Amino acid sequence: MVFGTGGRAFRPALRAGNRFDPAAADRPVVVFDEVYKAYRADCPVLRGFSLTIQRGEFVFVTGPSGSGKSTLLRMLYAAEGVDAGRILFLGRDVARLTAESVPYLRRNVGVVFQDFKLVDGWTVSENVAVPLEVLGLPERLVKNRVGEVLERVGLAGRGPDKAGSLSGGERQRVAVARAIVGEPAMLLADEPTGNLDPQLAVDILGLFEDIHETGVTVLFATHDRSLLDIRPRRVVVLDEGRAFDVPQGLDAAALGAA
Amino acid sequence: MNSLDRAYRGAKGDWQLHLLSVFSVGVAFVCLVATLLVVVNVERVHDRWRHVSRISVYLRSGAEPAAIADLEKALRASSGIGQVRFVSSEAARRELLNDDSTDALAALPEQAFPASLEVETAERLLPERRQRIAAQLKSLPAVESVETYESWGERLGTALVGGVTAAAILALVVLAAVISVVSSTMRLSLQRRRLEVEVLKLVGATDAYVRQPFVLEGASQGACGATLALLLVGLLYGIVRTQLDGHLSGLLGIAPEFLPWFAVLGLIGLGGVLGAAAAQLSLRKLLAV
Repeated sequence: MVFGTGGRAFRPALRAGNRFDPAAADRPVVVFDEVYKAYRADCPVLRGFSLTIQRGEFVFVTGPSGSGKSTLLRMLYAAEGVDAGRILFLGRDVARLTAESVPYLRRNVGVVFQDFKLVDGWTVSENVAVPLEVLGLPERLVKNRVGEVLERVGLAGRGPDKAGSLSGGERQRVAVARAIVGEPAMLLADEPTGNLDPQLAVDILGLFEDIHETGVTVLFATHDRSLLDIRPRRVVVLDEGRAFDVPQGLDAAALGAA
Repeated sequence: MNSLDRAYRGAKGDWQLHLLSVFSVGVAFVCLVATLLVVVNVERVHDRWRHVSRISVYLRSGAEPAAIADLEKALRASSGIGQVRFVSSEAARRELLNDDSTDALAALPEQAFPASLEVETAERLLPERRQRIAAQLKSLPAVESVETYESWGERLGTALVGGVTAAAILALVVLAAVISVVSSTMRLSLQRRRLEVEVLKLVGATDAYVRQPFVLEGASQGACGATLALLLVGLLYGIVRTQLDGHLSGLLGIAPEFLPWFAVLGLIGLGGVLGAAAAQLSLRKLLAV
């Protein structure tokens, strides 16, 4: 995990370091507290949304198109403002960060998008190395780390290939590698399987689960119900500005209701 | 990958756009470089004439040889006066007319070539002292008129002021042109690399980090544009000098020279600074993601 160094830098309440703070491990990674967001006054996307995500959780966010899944994620990495309420990420209120602090917040969050957001003219390694270069890490360290991460996502040896020459599934793996290379506190996935066929979607979900197994907190936004049925996970359903938290997954909730 | 590497990668990807920008900046700089070249040489001619160490004393047509000899003797005895040479009317005619002279020149009357005393003054002779000598000479009965050549220096001085003013105005035009060209190029380049910028911002790059390669690209465009202009004007100067060197030296009294090294470096530096400033300003409000 990397933190800012300047006086105005993002300084999370949970800090990595040699000294172990037992209390820090119990604190939630993210807390949405009565969050209100509207693009039009008469049609709010989120109305008093509250949610707490603990360290190491895997949470699906689902709902129909336009329900606010992407908005929820975008607010977390400060690409969208918050109209009312608080979003605490590692103890700091994201909504009140200064513009100068936002980059330091983003260094603690890995984001994967539906459209991959890869620069086609760059090689796979160059795309994956970006978060480490931004941190100013030495070239040799960057090279080693990129090699490790590519191996982890199943793209060992593909570093010199141009990103534009990869298939959809491979491109998404590169995007995942880029998101985790900086060892973020949290991994956000905004419809990462939206552009993939069902089998590839399952593969990519498996990749996220593997990453989650290493202790990374994952927030996975999708409208694909079939992905939610693969394994029971906590699901947050967004609909008409309201959120419904289903801690044991949709299947368990359906069984309970029956 | 440092900022230079990122700038090189960006410029390589958009090389046609950058080439166009360098050419446009170069065209703007050509005007400034050419004007400065003229100003520098006019300044040298002006300096040459300002420090001219010569006075021509034109004698009346009926002046007695004895009076002329006395005058020559008196001049030689004066402080600040070097050589004194008598040029007769016939000698003056011979000096001007040669085999290539036209009939019109040859038909000029004898009065057009008065006899004169060509006086070499000391280099450091003050203008006031030169004026006083001229005034004293004018009052003598054998003297028709006295030419100190200072009016030429004054005329060149006036031309020089005009040239410097023109150069200053052109510098402003160049400034506006460079800022406009580089800003447009940077905006276009930013649009083409929007995804790259977006990715950088999303992984936590600061605005300064994102801006650095663009500023370097702007600086290189400005500096390369100025260099291109210097090369073009230098090439033209070389051609003109090869063809007309003898004539120009005879006409101006000095051999024309190209811009001094510090002016060359200054122009390249100016291009670089203007390009960097233009890139910095144009991207200031365009990096929000």
